[in-house]
Amino acid sequence: MTVMLTSPIHSLPSTPIHGGLSLEDASLAARRGVRGRHAADHLRDQGLTVPPVPNQIVASGDDQWVMALSRREFWIINPQQLATAAMPDSTAIASEVWPLYCQHSHSWLILQGAQRADVAAKLCAVDLRSEAFPLGAVAQTQAARVSVIIAHHTNSQQQPVFSLFVDQAVSEYLWLTLQDAMGEFI
Amino acid sequence: MKILHCPLNGPRNISEFVYGGQVKPMPNPESATDTEWAAYVFYENNSIGVVQEWWLHAPSSYWFIVERHNGSDTILRTYDPSELLSNPGMVSLEDAIQ
Repeated sequence: MTVMLTSPIHSLPSTPIHGGLSLEDASLAARRGVRGRHAADHLRDQGLTVPPVPNQIVASGDDQWVMALSRREFWIINPQQLATAAMPDSTAIASEVWPLYCQHSHSWLILQGAQRADVAAKLCAVDLRSEAFPLGAVAQTQAARVSVIIAHHTNSQQQPVFSLFVDQAVSEYLWLTLQDAMGEFI
Repeated sequence: MKILHCPLNGPRNISEFVYGGQVKPMPNPESATDTEWAAYVFYENNSIGVVQEWWLHAPSSYWFIVERHNGSDTILRTYDPSELLSNPGMVSLEDAIQ
């Protein structure tokens, strides 16, 4: 049986791109997670680059990014690769390494544009300006009162973007709220 | 808005945190009497002074320890629970933070 993946916000209107400010739904892009005492070593053994401290994101290879959420929790995200409908592992991947679900639990929104920090400032208490939140930084916080993970990295065109990961149950709300916040700038 | 310093994530609005109760050694579930277990689950010290408390940073699901004066509501220190592992009475916490 073929299973088609569908983003929970696929039916919502997209934001017109103006002045370089845009909001993209990347929920169908591939991502996976691991956690556990040996999770970092497990990723290094796979040839991946792992951030040295939590709340950072680093490029690993051509298209992948590795994000450290704690000393023992990592997400591997790939904006260029489409996710599969395969169920993630539910048992230990290796000794002291367990799957950490993020593909089917979180939506992935990408906010791009020079004024991305100004848009985020309307919703989030953390200072996301580049001086305080440089490329490679990750914030686990709240935006518009819902929990989000915000990662500051570059896209395939080497443009800086915010990747926002939010629980799928509230992704429609955050999508519309971000669009509303962007309205001041576009 | 009050600001609480999360050991993992840094300063965050207090609205991002959830109180998790007083830190206290857990008796052995296999050998504790009903009275000991009930005391662990239901009784709190509630004396005024500096207390150790569990707090959760909800967006990152990270549990940590806060030392707070419950009279003045002053936060004295926040730290990772691994610091408590040196206390033999708290050894069982190791499983809780995996």
